[in-house]
Formats: sequence, C-alpha cells, structure tokens
Amino acid sequence: MKANTSPKIAVNLGRLKLKNPVMTASGTFGYGEEYAGFVDLNSLGAIVVKGLSLKPRLGNPPPRIMETTGGMLNAVGLQNIGVDVFIEEKLPYLRQYDVAIIANIYGETYDEYKKVARILSAVKGVHALEVNISCPNVKNGGLSFGCDPKIAARVTRAVKDETGLPVIVKLTPNVTDITVIAQAVEKAGADIISLINTLTGMSVDLKTKRPHLNNITGGLSGPAIKPVALRMVWQVVQRVSVPVIGIGGIMTAQDALEFLILGAKAVQIGTANFINPHATMEVVEGIKNYLAVNKIKDINEIIGTFKP
Amino acid sequence: MAGNIYIGEILKNEEIQEDCFLMKVKLPSSFENPLPGQFVMMRIAGLNDPFLSRPISIYSFTRGKNYCSMELLYSVVGKGTQILAGLINGSQVEINGPLGNGFETKSVKKNIIFIAGGIGIAPLSLLTESLCRRVSSSSTMNIYLGFQGASAAVGLDKLKKLCRNVTVCTDDGSLGEKGFVTQIFEKDMKKFAADDTSIYACGPKAMLRSLSKILNKNKFDCQVSLEERMACGTGACMGCAVAVKNKKGAFAYQRVCADGPVFNLKDIIWK
Repeated sequence: MKANTSPKIAVNLGRLKLKNPVMTASGTFGYGEEYAGFVDLNSLGAIVVKGLSLKPRLGNPPPRIMETTGGMLNAVGLQNIGVDVFIEEKLPYLRQYDVAIIANIYGETYDEYKKVARILSAVKGVHALEVNISCPNVKNGGLSFGCDPKIAARVTRAVKDETGLPVIVKLTPNVTDITVIAQAVEKAGADIISLINTLTGMSVDLKTKRPHLNNITGGLSGPAIKPVALRMVWQVVQRVSVPVIGIGGIMTAQDALEFLILGAKAVQIGTANFINPHATMEVVEGIKNYLAVNKIKDINEIIGTFKP
Repeated sequence: MAGNIYIGEILKNEEIQEDCFLMKVKLPSSFENPLPGQFVMMRIAGLNDPFLSRPISIYSFTRGKNYCSMELLYSVVGKGTQILAGLINGSQVEINGPLGNGFETKSVKKNIIFIAGGIGIAPLSLLTESLCRRVSSSSTMNIYLGFQGASAAVGLDKLKKLCRNVTVCTDDGSLGEKGFVTQIFEKDMKKFAADDTSIYACGPKAMLRSLSKILNKNKFDCQVSLEERMACGTGACMGCAVAVKNKKGAFAYQRVCADGPVFNLKDIIWK
C-alpha cells in the first residue's frame, strides 16, 4: 500500500545533511562506480568509499573471505589505491553525482591519519571524513587504535586538527565497553559516531585443520551481527549527544528502522550489497513505504522513539 | 556491467557424473550474450542460507525467440553447491551476470590448444564452440582433457563433435591415457611452435601451476580462467584476490571477479 504524499526522509547529522538516512558502508561499495549499474547513486543518502590510506596498500594474501551462518568473515587487509589515486581517478567520477561523498580514512600512525585528512580536506567533493580506528597501531604493538579510549581520542583530535569537514569516528565492537570509547571520541571532538565495525572471528577447515582465512582471524559481518550492533547502538545513544550512525547486518528496511527507532540518525548498508546489489535502494524505498503506510510525515518523528 | 539481477527458472538439474551436475536455466531475453570465460553469481531466490551467491562459469548459452537458456556445469564442493544440486525443475534462482572478462580471442593464432582439468572444461567448452564458428579452416584445434578417473569425465561428447583432436587422460588410467593432463600435453608440445599457438586453460590450481612451469621454459601465450571464493562478484569486496605481476611488473593482488577471471598465465605469481 502506498500513500499519496511522500514522507520527508532527509536527516541532519549536525552539519552533515543527507537527503535520506541510507549510506553505504566502507569497503562494501567500492568507490561507487562498481555499483552504478545497479543503483541510482543519486538516490542514496551518502556513499562512504573504501578506506583510504596515505600510500596504496596491497592487502592480505588470499583466501580472504569465508562464508559463515548468516554472514561472512573477511580479512582483506585494507587493500586500497591510496589517497592520491583516489583523488585523481575516482573522485571526479563521484563528483558528477548529487550525493554526499564520505571518505573513510585510516593510518598506522597518528601522522598518517593527519596527512590523509589534510589531503582530503583540500579537495572539492568530499563532504565528511569517517575515521576507521579499528586498524592496528604499529607503534603500539599492533593493538587497534580503537581499543583504548586515550588512543582513540588522540586519533580523533589528530584528524580534527587537520580538517574543517565533519568528522565521523567509526568504532570497533571488539572492546569491553564501547560507551567508554564513544564518550572519549566525543570529548575529543568527533562530530558523529558510527558503529559497529566487524566483530573479530575465525573459521576452521576440518579437512586440513587449518584456518579458512590466510590471516587466521577476520571480521564478521552480515545479519548474524545485527543483534550485537543494535545493542551497542542502544548503549551508545544513551551516553553521547552527537549523532550516531547504526551499522551491522542491515539487509532490509525493517532492519534499518530498528536502528533508527533506537536513536541512530542514519544507517550504513554493508555486506547486504554483496548478495543484493540493489539493497541500498530497496532500503530507501522500504523506509518511505513504511512511513507512508503508518502515516508518518517525517522520518525524524520516529528516530529515537524506542520504548525500553 | 549488466546492472540487473535476473530471475532464472531451472529447466534441468541432473547429476551427470558423481558429484557433477548439469543445470539448465531459463532466463529472460534481456540477459546479455555471455563471452566465453564469463561467469554468473547464483543464489536461490528468497533464501539467505547459504548466505553468499556462488560463482559458476557458463558452459553453454542459447538465445531463443522469447527467452534464452544457459547451461552450467558444476561440482558439488561444499554447502552452497550441495544445496544448488538439490534444486528441482521449476525452482527459481537469482542470477547476476554475465560477469568478468572473457577470454581474449581477437589475436587468436593458427594453432589453438585447450587444456582443461576436471570441471575446468566448462568455460573452455563455450570457448571451443565460439571459436569453431569463427576461425578459418587453416586453423587447428587440439583439446587436452584431464580427469581424476573415468567416473569424473564430463562434457566429452560435445567437444568430440566440435573437434577431431581430443586427447583424454585420467590420473588412474581408467579412461584414455594415464597421467596428468599437463604431462600428456608436454609430450606433444614440440609439435607446436610457440609463435603460432594460442593456449587456453582452466582447471585446479595445481594443474595451472605445473602448466606455468612447463610453458615458462617456452614462449607460449596462455590464458587461464581462475576460480576463487567470492562474495560480490562485481569488484567491490576485494575477497577474490590473486597475486599477479601488474602492468608495471610490480606485485599486486587483483580481483578474480572483475580483473579476471581470465588472466595471462605468465602474470600469475605462484607462492
């Protein structure tokens, strides 16, 4: 059933204004071009591009992925073309579209984060930065930046010092208490918080007794992680006042709406793109339809309406 | 890029040899003509378990008046293919494709050689059909097919109709010559001049690896079709990496789905 007046679906995440709350998750949508044959990129709230580092990265040796029940493990190892090639070869293509472009960035040192942020802030067509703090900190024994509130805060400040763009900090769920990290990055100046990144997991080959992934461990994504993501988003929205983006296992509009009801201002669609390249557009349409059927005029009326 | 997900209807899904199935799928006319070497991502319509689609190369393709039909030859190797094998006629599958880059055949040379191991016969069979229609009568075609044993041999009848020079071998000698297909080919190799020969190969990694050792001593041009676990099939997830020498000669991981699945054998870096 469709209503006659189409509901308002624009959302504001502070200064970052999106025409709808549906974004792509970094690493699952390439640089946009890979999905342009399937999705009208103009119909999305935002495109978050594959994570960019200062220099190109080779990534991990294969096998890099393994299917699991209701999801998949990946250990791609942040293979990417590097920030300079992105600006030269990929950004001009994305600029033709009327959609917010968000550059996901990461580094192995504070200095690398700063440099990537600085370079991307000097070019036209990037609307926000999303900082991946889940990657290993080489100067700190390879421990993830995102596991320690002090270090997570320092990365956030390092990026904030270099950019005037809105800064989204993407949190890892592989911590004891995600709210501590969320509060630390908020205090350090994060404009928006997105969560969750993948959950660390493993898979064993019974025949060979070896891991299915060359890297041994990998990041679990897909619908299997949605309940964990919902729980963490719920915990975080109660503790921070900056806008929150919900990520984790969203396959359908119903899934996305659960995150919005909890208080997320927007969502990111990740692994769903792999098995259904139309997933993002279907979620946008499904949200519109839900609002129309329930006679809700504006999406903002349902954000944060959770009744615990 | 095709840009569409097609709903296919299964017309046939038969076990033609132990754990080897031939599936025929009816597709709408809007499905593009596949190039030999291209593949499709297939999943059971409306089912989220198995979670990922399965990449399967195209074995044959026919365009009818109001629809087209595609044949896929696949081995049951795990949970996904096991479930596909259980599908009955009339079942619906979701198909994304045709995907990837097919074999390059513009500069095909006088001698054409196909080397297939096991289920690797599938993409080469479509290529043989296509080249038979195109190449001049002065060309010669030689096909080398290797299987584990007679009970694993598939697709022979079709190829024997298309080509007079089909050599079959099995690991245990239960059909044709005894030995690996690479060894059987190596014995014949001196019959062909590298400059006049195009080789196309598909098969298990171990076979391609030993083929690369054999061919590296010579200057044969050889294209191979690779297999790897995939999530998206469209170049986004970077899951299906293969180590290669890139255009600049540097080590790189490329995507089997979007940069391949066909690669020049000499570019592949073996561990």
